[in-house]
Amino acid sequence: MSLLAVRDVSKRFGGVNALAAVTFNVDQGDVLGIIGPNGAGKTTLLNCISGLYRPDTGDIEWEAETISGMAPYRIARLGIGRTFQIVRPFPSMTVRENTAMGALFGRPHGRLQPGAALAEADEVLDLVGLGEKRHYPVLRLTVPDRKRLEVARALAMRPRLLLLDEVMAGLNHVEVEQALEMVRRVRESGVTIVLIEHVMKVIVGICNRALVLNFGRTLVEGPPAEVLKDRRVIEAYLGERYARSQEPPSDAPPTVEGNQHHPRVGESNEE
Amino acid sequence: MTAAERRLPSRVRRSVVAIAAVALAFVILAPLTSIDAAQQAGLPLLTDKLWFRIATTVAMFVVLASGWNIIGGLTGYASFGNVAFFGLGAYTVGVLVQNLGWPFALALVAAPGVAAVFALIIGLPLLRLRGHYFAVATLGVGVAVGEVVNNVGALGASTGLFLPIVRSDLIFFYLMLGTAVLAVLTTWIILRTRFGYGLLAIRENEEAAAVIGVNTTFYKVAAFCVAAALTGLAGGIFAQWNSFINQENVFAITDNVQMILMAVIGGAGTVLGPVAGAIALELIIQTLAGGGSGAVYSQIGLGVLLAVCIIFIPRGVIDFFGGRSRLSLRYFRQTLRETSA
Repeated sequence: MSLLAVRDVSKRFGGVNALAAVTFNVDQGDVLGIIGPNGAGKTTLLNCISGLYRPDTGDIEWEAETISGMAPYRIARLGIGRTFQIVRPFPSMTVRENTAMGALFGRPHGRLQPGAALAEADEVLDLVGLGEKRHYPVLRLTVPDRKRLEVARALAMRPRLLLLDEVMAGLNHVEVEQALEMVRRVRESGVTIVLIEHVMKVIVGICNRALVLNFGRTLVEGPPAEVLKDRRVIEAYLGERYARSQEPPSDAPPTVEGNQHHPRVGESNEE
Repeated sequence: MTAAERRLPSRVRRSVVAIAAVALAFVILAPLTSIDAAQQAGLPLLTDKLWFRIATTVAMFVVLASGWNIIGGLTGYASFGNVAFFGLGAYTVGVLVQNLGWPFALALVAAPGVAAVFALIIGLPLLRLRGHYFAVATLGVGVAVGEVVNNVGALGASTGLFLPIVRSDLIFFYLMLGTAVLAVLTTWIILRTRFGYGLLAIRENEEAAAVIGVNTTFYKVAAFCVAAALTGLAGGIFAQWNSFINQENVFAITDNVQMILMAVIGGAGTVLGPVAGAIALELIIQTLAGGGSGAVYSQIGLGVLLAVCIIFIPRGVIDFFGGRSRLSLRYFRQTLRETSA
């Protein structure tokens, strides 16, 4: 039984098919990377899973029970945490209080009181590397730190599945390394992860599977290294002509390293 | 550390404790002093009917501003329909006492209940709206309920309702004061609980609140109901105190604007902001509106005051006087930067 099963999920906005019959499974312990050009429907997919959108058709199952159409807070308490691509902290609160909110409301069993939630927040903040800035007001945090805070708040819920929406976007080389290290620690703590990312180093470096979306449809699914070599993926990102020009004269396939920087062209906001 | 403590600098807290102690002493001592004894002892305040009237009105606006603060300040939903809760509370007492012959005490218990049930009914659909849409929709409800009451014969229609007169300044002063204390205490407790944190989360980012597990619909409606109950209770007391109610005096939109001004000028989202705002603004209104033509200046003065406050001290006087650096340009620059988008 899969932890999460997405079956034929479609979502339309006016005349746009944001998602068209997307199907995939996430198993316990997976790190699934979702990639695709801007407007491919990646964030829409995450919004459907976390309950902010109700899919038009199809079904989303959590441990074999339907969750599509359920209120977001109930889905959260089942053990599905998420971050937002454009960070959404609670601006009047400190880093510690922001994190504590996850522990205060997101737990599946038993309620915490504010004091206990704050104590739990400290543990999580150490894990994501914000321990020393716990008393900062959010407005004083840098962009990478705000992204960390998004992860911390979701982790404080003690989720079993964590949905990460571009936590590495906009970070420099060193910051990406640090963030990668953080995601590895999260994985090792036993959390299953689905992440949207444009930074291919992340997809190759941490995911055991990758799913490519294009115009709301599943283009390719498989091991990251193979997916990134796929001609259809290169086409989707860089156009047919480019893909053709990259076609090797011999049978030797293009290397993963060779493709790394290309998809970053499409990196920017989508929501 | 709780949300309330963080918002309240220690300097303010100390002075507030001092003021509260004085007020409490007065509350305990006043009933022991009969009017005659007060005159002999040279306590002019206790013998002055006007003073009682003003003090009771101030206490009433402390309740209204604090009630509005729970939905508008803590939850971030600027309601222009709170005056409907006030009016419904007043009419509940009016009808139960006058038409059905209930004792005032019993009718007063029903008033917050009726207001809260009404908040539940309109809250479920209206709290799906955000920002201006919510404000306009609640404004519509406030006006509509007043118009309905104005046209129902059993409620006295446009003539209004007359209640049996109860002559006791002291009783109504203490009832209002007690309700004001209840309203402040309710806010204080809310800010210390899980419920309060949920409301703050909704105010600061509703979608983020939802995906970390806050039942946003329930929290918003519950906050609306608590605000309505407090406001309805004040309305119920007002009905018997004034012994005459009609559409104009209990469903006045200007009262709704006034409670918002008090909460915002004092400091929305804080425990004591609405208290400070209500006391300061009501006293200013009473002072300015002394004579007939004074009323005009009072309105102009209020408008100017509001504009100045919103621009320069958008976080309210509580933050300003207890704030990081008093009366300096730096404070103005900083708040301007932090509060403008």
